Amino acid sequence: MTAPTLSLAPVEQEVTSTEEVAAPDVPWVTIVWNDPVNLMTYVTWVFETYFGYQRPKAEKLMMDVHVKGKAVVSNGPRESMERDAEALQGYGLWATFEKDE
Amino acid sequence: MARAFLREDGGYVALLDPTERTVLRGLMEQTRALLSPEVESTGDAFDDLVASMGVSLGAADQVSGEPAARPGSDGLTDRDPALDRLLPTAHRGDDEIASEFRRLTEEGLRQRKSGNLDVAVGALSAATGSRIALDERQAPAFLMALTDVRLLLGERMGMRTEEDAEALHAAMDDIDDDDPLGYAMAWYDFLTWLQETLTHALMGTDLGEAETAYADDDADDDDLDGLDDLDDVDGDGPGRGAV
Repeated sequence: MTAPTLSLAPVEQEVTSTEEVAAPDVPWVTIVWNDPVNLMTYVTWVFETYFGYQRPKAEKLMMDVHVKGKAVVSNGPRESMERDAEALQGYGLWATFEKDE
Repeated sequence: MARAFLREDGGYVALLDPTERTVLRGLMEQTRALLSPEVESTGDAFDDLVASMGVSLGAADQVSGEPAARPGSDGLTDRDPALDRLLPTAHRGDDEIASEFRRLTEEGLRQRKSGNLDVAVGALSAATGSRIALDERQAPAFLMALTDVRLLLGERMGMRTEEDAEALHAAMDDIDDDDPLGYAMAWYDFLTWLQETLTHALMGTDLGEAETAYADDDADDDDLDGLDDLDDVDGDGPGRGAV
């Protein structure tokens, strides 16, 4: 048999349910978008101050935002990404979070 | 004429003349008014506790079964568009997630931003002569307050993309002396410079292209006078309540 059939529903459902519970968290990401107001130096300072990133990493992410229009600045579970997005909005950056596709 | 923020006496010091201090303070107070949280810190322990959890108790913020009125706006139709810049949508593509996030975080963000602006206004008020001195705690708050003022000013001028910014700067060459947009742009550029110098001071880096003394490119001394209201300086679209 190459495909499950609906007649096996009880067993199938149980397996599916177990798989969903056991599935690893799909990582989420925090994204910072380019905007015409925030300064390159300031964005670098925010990445250093909030994330504790070293200057080269902070500057690379800032340049990605500036040149590519956006950059993924952190990843992890959804709760952490919501926390990061909220904090970065507190700094005035245009931050969003989403499931990493 | 203003002098940049520089590391000095274990803190950060800038020199701003009376007009610069007055206008900057006025802009910060307008931004503070726009961002005012629903629950101000009143000394009431329970209210402050609830507010500190970032949960808005306002009726309009409670979850309802109503679908979002327009895509990407979290359904916030009557809201001042400048607020969408200061408190932007945190999820692009899923209004439900975005509005839930907003419900949980907006009150806390308003409080934090208002707190930064209060610290900054306090520092301006405490100036001795032209000397604005910030300690290690005040400096980041002042920096973030400058960001929010510039975000609001930029939004009021219609500066939403890099192209908008370039077009606005280009338009300054032949704008009338008494055009409010000219005043707004002059102050925007001044605040950009001031923020740049404080950021460099905090990061311990050279000022780079920013000058220690502010140079107004337009060489028009009147440019930095006359802006007294952030509401709708670009003149297109209705002013949605006093800022």
